[in-house]
Amino acid sequence: MAAIVRLGSVCHRGVKPLFYRSTLLARPLVVPHKDQESPYHLSARIHASQTVNSKYTGSSSNAASLHWTGERVVSILLLALGPAAYLYPGPVVDYSLAAALTLHGHWVGIGQVLTDYVHGDAKIKMANTGLFLLSTVTFAGLCYFNYNDVGICKAIALLWSK
Amino acid sequence: MSIAGLASLSRCGVLALRPPVGLVAVRHAQVAAAPAPEPRIKKFQVYRWDPDTPGDKPRMQTYDIDLNTCGPMVLDALIKIKNEMDGTLTFRRSCREGICGSCAMNINGGNTLACLNKIDTNTSKPTKIYPLPHMYVVKDLVPDMSNFYAQYKSIEPYLKRKDESKEGQEQYLQSVDDRQKLDGLYECILCACCSTSCPSYWWNGDKYLGPAVLMQAYRWMIDSRDEFTEERLSKLQDPFSLYRCHTIMNCTKTCPKGLNPGKAIAEIKKMMAMYKEKKTATA
Repeated sequence: MAAIVRLGSVCHRGVKPLFYRSTLLARPLVVPHKDQESPYHLSARIHASQTVNSKYTGSSSNAASLHWTGERVVSILLLALGPAAYLYPGPVVDYSLAAALTLHGHWVGIGQVLTDYVHGDAKIKMANTGLFLLSTVTFAGLCYFNYNDVGICKAIALLWSK
Repeated sequence: MSIAGLASLSRCGVLALRPPVGLVAVRHAQVAAAPAPEPRIKKFQVYRWDPDTPGDKPRMQTYDIDLNTCGPMVLDALIKIKNEMDGTLTFRRSCREGICGSCAMNINGGNTLACLNKIDTNTSKPTKIYPLPHMYVVKDLVPDMSNFYAQYKSIEPYLKRKDESKEGQEQYLQSVDDRQKLDGLYECILCACCSTSCPSYWWNGDKYLGPAVLMQAYRWMIDSRDEFTEERLSKLQDPFSLYRCHTIMNCTKTCPKGLNPGKAIAEIKKMMAMYKEKKTATA
């Protein structure tokens, strides 16, 4: 009986203060008292509080996962277009290749690289505009080549012809 | 030495009446006569930075340790340094057996737990010890984990039910198969070795959740007792939280517990592509 009472008092006195103490201990460790002067911890705290809790707590649209699915579809299409170009070279495959290659480079390629490495709202806008221009010019160029020249399939076949 | 050995040997022979006992005695005599083993001095280069010294720059400090008087793991060496050589060396440690995840650090270029990492006995090469890469350093080998923990908190890592009125009255039963889905996920100790080994987490650690947190998100998504799977999935609907994963697989390679966060993230991506259909199908 006495043992149980003792145990109870340990639980009451021992555990609670331990929790309080642990938070008191953890504070100065994570945020040292000099932290107003040092930019490191301050920015770390800003990262933690702002972005995680407010900015990226979900959205109602499923744009992100649709984008991912689109990427996979384009990748698989592009894989299928390889043999198709070999077996049935012609304007249909030419224009499909032009579209798929451009889209693949735009989404899965450079688009992902820009999202990874370009930081800052203004820079992101500039980079995305630049990428859009680049992809447009690429697609237009490939279409022009298909229309006025031999086409993508023939052009690649010519690499082996000599 | 050989004379002393012979003398003790002959004495053993005299004392021993039965051959087996004599053999044991001989072995003991040989061990006693063996010289002290050569010291195996191993160099440990440890990252040092002290925030309390104004203007202090990070530097590598070298410690020489005789492996004959040191435990087998890197954590043993660190504790030996702190106890016997330099009390100012700061690092986190607790369980010394790979359960708590406190002693996660970068040893010889790989993120791992110091307590599970054997000291390389090749004494010609120094062992290099850094804090977890691309983290804010509090001091020496202690990184600031607040962002990592805040991210973990943001995925609500606990059981959620739609109907809370029956809470605490009955156990939520689970089939053996459903329970098995959690194997390889629940063992995670949140040491952050995987997240801090991920280049995507290095560049976008503020917005990308990282492998450790995503694997726990997946753990709760596939828990048959949890009823908020769709909500959990829709929380990841942005280009950063989940889709910064490019299947680099550093996470799986480095995990000191042998888990596979890369696969968990891939499963989340598959669920993300499917769950809206499921919702419309049931509605």
